[in-house]
Amino acid sequence: MALLEISDLKTHFFTREGVVHAVDGVSLAVEAGSTLGLVGESGCGKSVTALSIMRLLPTPPARIVSGSIRFGGRELTELSERELEDVRGREIGMVFQDPMTALNPTLTIGTQIVEVLQRHLRLDRRAARRRAGELLAEVGIPHAFERLDDYPHRFSGGMRQRVGIAMAIACEPRLLIADEPTTALDVTVQAQVLDLLDDLRRKREMAMLLITHNMGVVAESADDVAVMYAGQIVEQAPTPELFDRPEHPYTEALLSALPDLDDPLARRSRLAAIPGRPPDLVDPPAACRFASRCPYAELGDCCALEPPPLRELRPGHWVRSAHPASERHLAHA
Amino acid sequence: MSATQIAGRMAGVDAGAPIRQSSLWQDAWRRYLRNRGAVAAGAVFLLLVVWCLVAPLVSPHDPNEVDFASAYQGPSWSHPFGTDQFGRDLFTRAALGGRISIGIGFGATLAILGIGVVYGAISGFVGGKLDNALMRFLDALYGLPYLPFAILALAIVGTVDFWTMVVALSIASWFITARVVRGQIIILKENDYVRAAKAVGVRWYAILGRHLLPNTLGVLVITIFLELPGVILGEAFLSFLGLGINPPDASWGSMAQDGRDSYRAHPHIIIIPSLAIATLVLCANFIADGLRDALDPRTKET
Amino acid sequence: MKPPLLTVTDLKVHFPIRSGVLFDRTVGHVKAVDGVSFELEEGRTLGLVGESGSGKSTTAYAVLQLLRPTSGSVRFAGRELTRLRGEALRRTRREIQIVFQDPYAALDPRMTVGRIVAEPLQAHGLGSRRSRRASVARLLELVGLDGSYANRYPHEFSGGQRQRIGIARALGLNPRLVVCDEPVSALDVSIQAQILNLLKDLQRDLGLTYVFIAHDLAVVRAMSDTIAVMHEGRIVEQGPAERVYTSPQTDYTRALLAAVPVADPERMRRRKRERRRLQPALDAR
Repeated sequence: MALLEISDLKTHFFTREGVVHAVDGVSLAVEAGSTLGLVGESGCGKSVTALSIMRLLPTPPARIVSGSIRFGGRELTELSERELEDVRGREIGMVFQDPMTALNPTLTIGTQIVEVLQRHLRLDRRAARRRAGELLAEVGIPHAFERLDDYPHRFSGGMRQRVGIAMAIACEPRLLIADEPTTALDVTVQAQVLDLLDDLRRKREMAMLLITHNMGVVAESADDVAVMYAGQIVEQAPTPELFDRPEHPYTEALLSALPDLDDPLARRSRLAAIPGRPPDLVDPPAACRFASRCPYAELGDCCALEPPPLRELRPGHWVRSAHPASERHLAHA
Repeated sequence: MSATQIAGRMAGVDAGAPIRQSSLWQDAWRRYLRNRGAVAAGAVFLLLVVWCLVAPLVSPHDPNEVDFASAYQGPSWSHPFGTDQFGRDLFTRAALGGRISIGIGFGATLAILGIGVVYGAISGFVGGKLDNALMRFLDALYGLPYLPFAILALAIVGTVDFWTMVVALSIASWFITARVVRGQIIILKENDYVRAAKAVGVRWYAILGRHLLPNTLGVLVITIFLELPGVILGEAFLSFLGLGINPPDASWGSMAQDGRDSYRAHPHIIIIPSLAIATLVLCANFIADGLRDALDPRTKET
Repeated sequence: MKPPLLTVTDLKVHFPIRSGVLFDRTVGHVKAVDGVSFELEEGRTLGLVGESGSGKSTTAYAVLQLLRPTSGSVRFAGRELTRLRGEALRRTRREIQIVFQDPYAALDPRMTVGRIVAEPLQAHGLGSRRSRRASVARLLELVGLDGSYANRYPHEFSGGQRQRIGIARALGLNPRLVVCDEPVSALDVSIQAQILNLLKDLQRDLGLTYVFIAHDLAVVRAMSDTIAVMHEGRIVEQGPAERVYTSPQTDYTRALLAAVPVADPERMRRRKRERRRLQPALDAR
């Protein structure tokens, strides 16, 4: 059984302008010790999914309308707030995108890490402080023990993110959720932080849910990839499989739209842009949500009338489309 | 034809329709309407202003007519607010007094705004040494307590009429406004659209007038309703001290001063104008709060 | 051989660090740009690449004279920009324009799209109100937007659409050189591709010259003929894009290239090994 299993999760935002179906039927699984990359563009619902797991969304206007989130056999949606507080930090750690705002500027780094350790592991101050120093060293901060007494503003962006990671893994959680952990960082620092996450994960046998909009990041760090679009998972497969044989038209288009670093003809050619825009999530299309931008959808197609289900095309490779790549040559009958 | 070829051809041709249709002012207005306190306060404020304008026109009584026979009467049908020590109808006088109090209030507030905006905008826009000098000077002025200063100003001028009161009240009250406007301008200056205007060759006065000042409108409107109470209370206080508008014209403050001697036996003479002032000040505060919430950029949709 | 359209020589932008309570003393300088030189031929694109704090945006602003350089020369079409003042500078601004990074901050929220796009024309007194309206419609269509959008406000549009509006504004005066300051960094991948294609088409159709600033090396490669890699205010490597990407000469450039995430798991594994090897070049951070 997977460590984290999400089944048909629906998280909606009830606003004055209407109900935003931010997450509309998401199912995914993260196996213990492996990394699942959740990738998608802005507004697709990936961050909302992560925050739903930890119930960190403001509850008006957000609400988990239906679905189940099972972690280590326990149903998270049924836990009380107090029980959930025990899970947060201790069993599931979270790293956020913005290293500037994730840390309290008025407390020293040491104080913040010690706070986490004391809350969950009930260590006395001296032991907690020692552990905090060890953690900082583990995430690659030089002069770790001296730095415990520094305030966040004395760290650079990359260092702050490392501190955020240290806090997230302090209590040895079994699952680490990283929500766009490198987006706000320079590309060289980004690479270092991803390498760090990878090393930590392997050393501690942690599972990781890595959320990002950057296909390159998941190519590097994830064992499996799930692609999200308009609140739903549209494709999921092991990483090499997804990049070698993408099935969903959106995945294909996304990969084609990326400028290739090593392409000598890049200057002369045009990028394969996807026309149009993602659908409005207040009133999503009743059928396939990608249909209006899909080069294969035709009027009268089944996908224009009914939402395509998420089906297992090949072992381990799931697609939500009526026109996956491997079936296209069959369609023209 | 492959997906990439099709997609590539269609790119750039159609960027799609706008994603939402509303104006910022409409959004702000809607947000304001949701605040019941602010809406009620706005209605009462409006009613008060209308009353001040209309009541004297339809009143059967001459506000300045002395009639000792009817002096010190309590509220009745012919005199809804009663009469004062000279037998003058308080209902009509209060309305007239309102015109003057509110008039002075807005007059002084606009003067404060005028001076403050000019000072603050120049300081914030030009920046550098001029900004430094202007702000240090402002710091020095901060120490001036505005009421004694107003008293001094009135004493020097001698007579107290509408305009001298406006000047006295605004002379030493524009400092905060100047600071606020300067702060706004400094923040707005950093926006890319200001740099874009500079890059295009728009002249500095056009940048100030077209880009910077209109974007401070929200803050200015709120400032009006924040300064108003202070000014009105200031005028009332000065009148109460006897430095008010020369009779027979009256403001609420001077009416309150009239009633000072007889307040034990005939409290209504001092209560009526005081209540009027309190109502206006309360409403202005509620409106200012409502406006602040309505125009708060954090809740604006982007 | 025509001379290059833009020649920058030893450009320096130093910001004084002031301290003191009553009287400011200059205690040091922040050397945002510290001796940058490059050339750009008409119709070509120079990719200016670097991480945050490298000075690439400051360089662009200094070229445009939005910031006055501390020293150095900027020659554009035979004119020395650093010596121009007042009206002469204003007139030259017609030929050099800029597209900004943040589509949400680059447009005045209180002005309609039409006024925003028309403002450059108005500032230079070009045409009548009617002819300007026609120009605005034409410019909007040029960037893929419907002419009727002129009456709407910026907040009614998405990031990609706002960026198009910004481009339309930049083109109003028929500039020869357009500085693109991270024009797609704030956009999603699918929209990014649309805007990059638009910029390419416009360059081809209007004969524009670009200084293209970005931190995404893959994007820069797709857009540039020559590349300049900036680090801490200096250009550490410069040359034809082809050469810089295939045989970088400095460790910093190599480390930068190795750090870019690439959507290919096989290549990523190789690049990871390369990164570990180059770690010392970056350890100052």
